[in-house]
Amino acid sequence: MAHATQVGLQDATSPIMEELITFHDHALMIIFLICFLVLYALFLTLTTKLTNTNISDAQEMETVWTILPAIILVLIALPSLRILYMTDEVNDPSLTIKSIGHQWYWTYEYTDYGGLIFNSYMLPPLFLEPGDLRLLDVDNRVVLPIEAPIRMMITSQDVLHSWAVPTLGLKTDAIPGRLNQTTFTATRPGVYYGQCSEICGANHSFMPIVLELIPLKIFEMGPVFTL
Amino acid sequence: MAAPPEPGEPEERKLLGFLDVENTPCARHSILYGSLGSVVAGFGHFLFTSRIRRSCDVGVGGFILVTLGCWFHCRYNYAKQRIQERIAREEIKKKILYEGTHLDPERKHNGSSSN
Repeated sequence: MAHATQVGLQDATSPIMEELITFHDHALMIIFLICFLVLYALFLTLTTKLTNTNISDAQEMETVWTILPAIILVLIALPSLRILYMTDEVNDPSLTIKSIGHQWYWTYEYTDYGGLIFNSYMLPPLFLEPGDLRLLDVDNRVVLPIEAPIRMMITSQDVLHSWAVPTLGLKTDAIPGRLNQTTFTATRPGVYYGQCSEICGANHSFMPIVLELIPLKIFEMGPVFTL
Repeated sequence: MAAPPEPGEPEERKLLGFLDVENTPCARHSILYGSLGSVVAGFGHFLFTSRIRRSCDVGVGGFILVTLGCWFHCRYNYAKQRIQERIAREEIKKKILYEGTHLDPERKHNGSSSN
């Protein structure tokens, strides 16, 4: 989860998020250099005498500042498109979970190997135990195995919601009447938090998502396979 | 990196307050080399031409070009290294899982080399 003063991305828990972080670093470096150049040009503009004759009819400069931005855009677009298509790859998922958004909680269905269905409500502040996270912890977490491709089918029962888990690089809209799919493979165990990311009413900020990612051996002993 | 600094650890320092060059691979290396390139190019130009303003322009241009060049070179090598690490990790996992079975990668490799 994010800490209080964090402005950067969370650490990656899936290969896609690793790629997104790499792309973010790449784009940020280019942006930083462009900003530096623009600031320098601004400084020069402010400190140049008005009688300077080098500020008009600069055909070569105009050619450069047309072609160079095009090259820069291509350098940004190519990795971006690569990751975009990578997120759409479906690698034979081992497990399919349905996630249904409601006002203001999530329902999860594990129907591959049985009929496990449960709701996930945010824990009200009065019910928090010491160590629990305010506005983030839920009564029933989504327990999933690591190192296994998982398919999430996301929809909504009422209004628009969005199922987002930043550390996995996931954000998928939950749209009533439509089934959206996202797949991911988690690389390390832990508890990961997300929040509803589409305004959905008064308690939009109070319907978090909590994933508990555990090793497959332990997952197999759980209620998904034993119920 | 997402974790907040622990009490005993030194405080994170960010370039200009927000650029996390310490934790972004290749960033610190690229900016340092870019700064060096900028000083060398700008000062060298000034030594030859004694034109201050133009030397500053050359310095800024040098900074941008050297930083970009180092950045792309370092990121390319970093990406290759990550791929190699991933392959090595997968092979180690396969070796641990399948050692002694017919799927043992070493057995397959020895079998194909003896054929």
